[in-house]
Amino acid sequence: MAATALSPSSSAAAQADADAGPVGGDRKWALRWAYLFLCIFAGFALMPPLYMLITGLKTSSEISAARNPWWVYHPTLANFTELLTSPVFQTFFKNSVIVAVLVVAITMLISVPAAFALSRMKFWGSGILATGVFLTYLVPETLLFIPLFKMFATFRDWTGIELINRWYVLLLLYPTLTVPFCTWIMIGYFASIPKELDEAALIDGASWTQTLMKIFVPVALPGIIAATIFAFTVAWAQFLYPLAFTTSQDQLVLSVGIATTLIRADVFNWGQIMAGALLGAAPPLIIYAFLMDYYIAGLTAGATKG
Amino acid sequence: MAQIAVRDRSAFAESRPRSTVREFFQQKSTVAFLFTLPLILLIAALVVYPAFYSIYLAMLSKRMDRFVGLANFTFLFTRETFWMVVKQSCIFAITAVIFKALIGFIVAHLVHAIPSEGQRKWRGMLLVPWVIPPALSTLAWLWLFDPSYSAFNYIIEGLGGGPIPWTGDALWARFSVILVNIWIGAPFFMIMYLAALKSVPAELYEVAAIDGASWFQKLWYITLPMMRNIIAITTLFSLIVTFANFDIVRILTAGGPIDQTHMFATWAFKLGIEGGDIPLGASISLFMVPILTIAAIFILRDINKRGERM
Amino acid sequence: MAKLKVTRRRFLQTTAAASTMIAAPFVRDANAAGSLSIGFWDHWVPGGNKATEEIVRAWAEKEKVDVKMDFITSQGNKNLLTIAAEAQAKSGHDIFAFPTWWPQQHAESLEPVDDLMTELIKQNGNVNGTVEYLGRAKGRWLAIPATNGSQIKGPCSRIDLMKQHAGIDVQAMYPAGSAPKAENWTLDTFLKAAEACHKAGFAFGIGLGQTTDSVDTAGAIFQSFDAHLVDKNGKVTVKSDNVRKAMEFYKKLAAVLPPDAPAWDDASNNKWLVSGRGALIMNPPSAWAVAKRDAPQVAEQCWTHGFPSGPAGRFAPFLPYFWGIWNFSKNKSAAKSALLALSTHDAIAKMVAASGGYDLPAYEKLTTLKTWAEEGPPKGTLYHYPNPHNHQTLSIAAAPAPPAIAFQIYTQAVLTKMVARHLQGEALEKTLAWAETEVEGFMRT
Repeated sequence: MAATALSPSSSAAAQADADAGPVGGDRKWALRWAYLFLCIFAGFALMPPLYMLITGLKTSSEISAARNPWWVYHPTLANFTELLTSPVFQTFFKNSVIVAVLVVAITMLISVPAAFALSRMKFWGSGILATGVFLTYLVPETLLFIPLFKMFATFRDWTGIELINRWYVLLLLYPTLTVPFCTWIMIGYFASIPKELDEAALIDGASWTQTLMKIFVPVALPGIIAATIFAFTVAWAQFLYPLAFTTSQDQLVLSVGIATTLIRADVFNWGQIMAGALLGAAPPLIIYAFLMDYYIAGLTAGATKG
Repeated sequence: MAQIAVRDRSAFAESRPRSTVREFFQQKSTVAFLFTLPLILLIAALVVYPAFYSIYLAMLSKRMDRFVGLANFTFLFTRETFWMVVKQSCIFAITAVIFKALIGFIVAHLVHAIPSEGQRKWRGMLLVPWVIPPALSTLAWLWLFDPSYSAFNYIIEGLGGGPIPWTGDALWARFSVILVNIWIGAPFFMIMYLAALKSVPAELYEVAAIDGASWFQKLWYITLPMMRNIIAITTLFSLIVTFANFDIVRILTAGGPIDQTHMFATWAFKLGIEGGDIPLGASISLFMVPILTIAAIFILRDINKRGERM
Repeated sequence: MAKLKVTRRRFLQTTAAASTMIAAPFVRDANAAGSLSIGFWDHWVPGGNKATEEIVRAWAEKEKVDVKMDFITSQGNKNLLTIAAEAQAKSGHDIFAFPTWWPQQHAESLEPVDDLMTELIKQNGNVNGTVEYLGRAKGRWLAIPATNGSQIKGPCSRIDLMKQHAGIDVQAMYPAGSAPKAENWTLDTFLKAAEACHKAGFAFGIGLGQTTDSVDTAGAIFQSFDAHLVDKNGKVTVKSDNVRKAMEFYKKLAAVLPPDAPAWDDASNNKWLVSGRGALIMNPPSAWAVAKRDAPQVAEQCWTHGFPSGPAGRFAPFLPYFWGIWNFSKNKSAAKSALLALSTHDAIAKMVAASGGYDLPAYEKLTTLKTWAEEGPPKGTLYHYPNPHNHQTLSIAAAPAPPAIAFQIYTQAVLTKMVARHLQGEALEKTLAWAETEVEGFMRT
C-alpha cells in the first residue's frame, strides 16, 4: 500500500527509471527519445486535420493550380463563411444536433438501468444477455438497412406514421449502435464501484429503483458522462444509416450532407469539402477538448477491471 | 361475529393483492427484467428481427420470387472474386488490428514514461483521430491520396522520387486502406493500454529492478500478463469493427482497383444494392457473422476462464 | 351579365386548354390535383437544377398540384440506394429519375408510359436507339427520357496539345456550325495520337476503373469492333475473334494511359483535364465547365467532338436518364401531366441552357439548340457535343445483350476489368476465361 501512497510523478519516475533501458541508462535520454517519438506520432495523428484546415482556406482555383499543397498562398475564409451562412448547411447542422442530443438521452435512458441490472442484479440470464449485447455488434449495418426499410414501410401501412425519409427515424436506428457499447462501458464501470454501497441501501429498505437513481447514479456519474460523450460521438459520426434512410435535403444530417451536396460527382470542390468536413468534425472535437478526462475515464473503465 | 369476520376477511382480502403486486414489483428479478426490458426490445426489434429477415432474404432467388435455399451461398463459392474478398477481409482485419495494437502499445508506453503533468496534452493530441467522424477524416485522406493532387506525392516528387499510386495500384491501395484504418483506430488501443499500464502496481517493477530484470523481462513477465485481459478485449472489439468496416474502403477506393480492396460489407453493397441482387448481397454479408462469432467465442471464453480463476 | 360570365369562362377555358392542350386529357378528373413528389437527379453543373425547379413550379401552380421536389445526387450512388429502397418498400416518390439501366431493373414496378411517348415522339421527333433499348421492355415504354443528366461521353480534346504533339487539328476535323470531316479519325489514328501525347507527357486521360466514365469508353470501343460479351439472344460470345481484336487494341492503348487508370473514378478524368496534364478525356462538358471557372487557360483550348471510328463503325456512348412513374404512385395522372410539361420544346431548351449545354435531350428534333452553338470560350466548343449531324451511332456498353445481363456487365465493369487484368500481365486466354465465368454468373435468375 505504500506504493499507492507515492505521488504519481515519482511512481512515473520510478517507472521511467525502471524502463529506462540497460542498467545505468540515463533517464534524461530515455525521456528525450520518448518525446521525440511522441512528436512523430502526434504529428502523424494531427496531420490530416491540419491538412483539412489548410485546404479549407484555399480557393478552388488555387487548388487546381496545383502549387504547394501544404501552404496557403492566398488564404480565404470564403469556404467557411459560405458554408456557415448557407441555410442548407445550417439545416444539416441543426438536424445533426437535434438527432445527436435526443439519441444520447434515449441511449442513457435505456443503457443505465440495463447496465445496473446486468452488473449488479445477478439474475437468470444476465450473463447471457450481457454477452448477447456485445454480440449485436457482429451484425453489420449493411445487412440490416434493407429489412429495416421494409419494416418501416409496413409500419407506415399499419399505423400511418411516416418514418422513411424523416430525420426522426434515426432516433430509432442510432440507439442500436450506441446502446450496446454504452451498456458495456457502464457495466465495466459499475463493476468497479464497491458492492457495499448498494447492499447498504437495500438493507436500509430502498427499492432497486431508488438505489439506482439516488445512490448509484451520483457515484457512477463520471462513467455515465463518459458513456454520454461516446454516444454523442457515435451518433454524430454516423454515415450509412442516414445515407440510406434520409434523402430530402432538409432531412439530412451533416456527415451525409457534406459528402453528398458538396461532392458533386465529377466536379469536386475540395476547398469547400474540407471546410465542411472540419466544421462537421468540430463539435465532437470541442466536446472532447473540454471533457477529455471523462471521455478517457469511461473508455478505460473496463480496462482496469477487465 | 359475522360482521367482524367479514370485516377481517375483507381487510385481509384488500391488503393481500396490493402487497403481492408490490412485492412482485419489488422482487429483484422483476425489477431487473423491467430495467433491461427497453434494451431487449430495442435489440430484438431493430437488430435481431431484421437479421433473421435478411437470412430469409439470402435464401431467395435474385428476383425474390421464389425460395432457393442455399443456392446463393453455393454460387458464391464458385466465384473467384468471393475468395479474393475473403482473403482481403481477413488480411485487412488481422494486419490492421496487429498494427493498431502494436502502435497503441508502444505509444502507451511512451506516454506513460513521461512525467504525468505533461501526459494530458499528449494524450489529447494523440486521441484526435478517434474523435473525428471517420467518414469526414477519410475524405481528407482521399484528397491526400489523390492521383493528380496528392500532397504526399508533392513531397516525394520534391525529393526526387516518383509519384506513388496510393489508390491506383493494388498493393498500394491495400496499404492505404490499412493505413487509414490504423490512423483512426490506434488511438483507441493507446488509451486502453495506457489506463491498463497505470493500474499495474509500481512496486512490481521496483522489485523486478532490484532483482536485476532487463526491460524485456519486465515487459514479458509483468506488463503483458497484467494486461492480458484488456489486450484480449480490445483486440476482439477491434477485430469485429475492422472486419465489418464499410466507410473507409467505400470512400477511399470503392473496392478497387479491380475489386482488390473489397471487404465483405462493401462487396455486399456493390452486388446487392448496385447490382440489384439483394439476396446475393445479404448472403455475402452473412459470411461475416460466423467468422466473427467464432473469434468472439474463443476470446470471451478465454476472458471468462481467467476471470473465474482470478 | 350571364353572357359576360360565360364568355370569360370560356375564354379562360380555351386559353387554359391551349396551353395545357396535351396535359388536358390527363388532368381531367378532379383528383388529379392533390400532391406529387418528384425525385430529380441533382445536377453537377451549379445552377443546373434551377430551370427544372422553375418549370415544375410553373406547372404545379397552373394545375393546382402540391408538388415536392428532391434533388438526389448520384455521388456515392445515393440515387441508386433510394431507388432500391423505394422499390423494396413500395413507397417513396411518385416520379423518380432513373439512370440508364434502372428502368429495366424495376420494369415490374413502373407505370407504362406508352401514351406519353407516342405524344412526345410526335412532338419532338424520334428517340435514339439507346433510349429505345433501355426504355422499352416487352414492347412497352417504361419511362420517358429525361433531359437532365443525359449525356454523350465523347472526346474533349486540347486543341493546342493535339495539334502540337499529335498533328491533329480537332477544330478542322469537327468545325463548329458544319458537318464533321472526320473520315481519318479512326481508332488507329486515335491510338497513334495517344502514343504521341503520352511520349510528350500529356497522356490521354481515359480510365480503366469501375465507374461509368471508364465503362462507357470501353463499351464504345468494343462496339467499334463489333465485339460483344453476350449477343442479343443471350448467348455468351466472350471468346470470339472480335473480342480478341478489341482486347489487343486496348492493350496497346492502355500502355499509354496514366499508370493508375484502373483506379480512376468519375472525377479523375476531370481533374486530369483541369490540371492541364491531359490532351484528351472522354467526358461530357462538365470538365470544361469547371475549367472555365478554375483554369480558364485550359478551358479556352477545349473542343468537344466525335468518337473515333472502328472496323464496325463509329459508336459513341449515350447515357440517358429517364423519368419514370412508380406504379405505387397515388397520383399518376398528375405525374404524367408533369412529365409532359417537362418535355416541351421550351422546357427542354431552358434546361439545356441552365446546364451550360451539358444536358442532352434524346429527341431528333432537339439536337441543334442554340446553347451548343453559342457556348464558349472557345465559341463552338460544344457544337458537336449533341451529335447534330448524326455521324456516330449512339449506344451504350454491353448493348445489345438482353438488358438484365447487360446491366450486370455494365455495373460490374467486366469490360474494364478485363482490360486491366490483361494489362497487368494476365494472359489473354485466362482473362477471357475469367470473363466467361463472370458473364455466366450473370445469367442467374
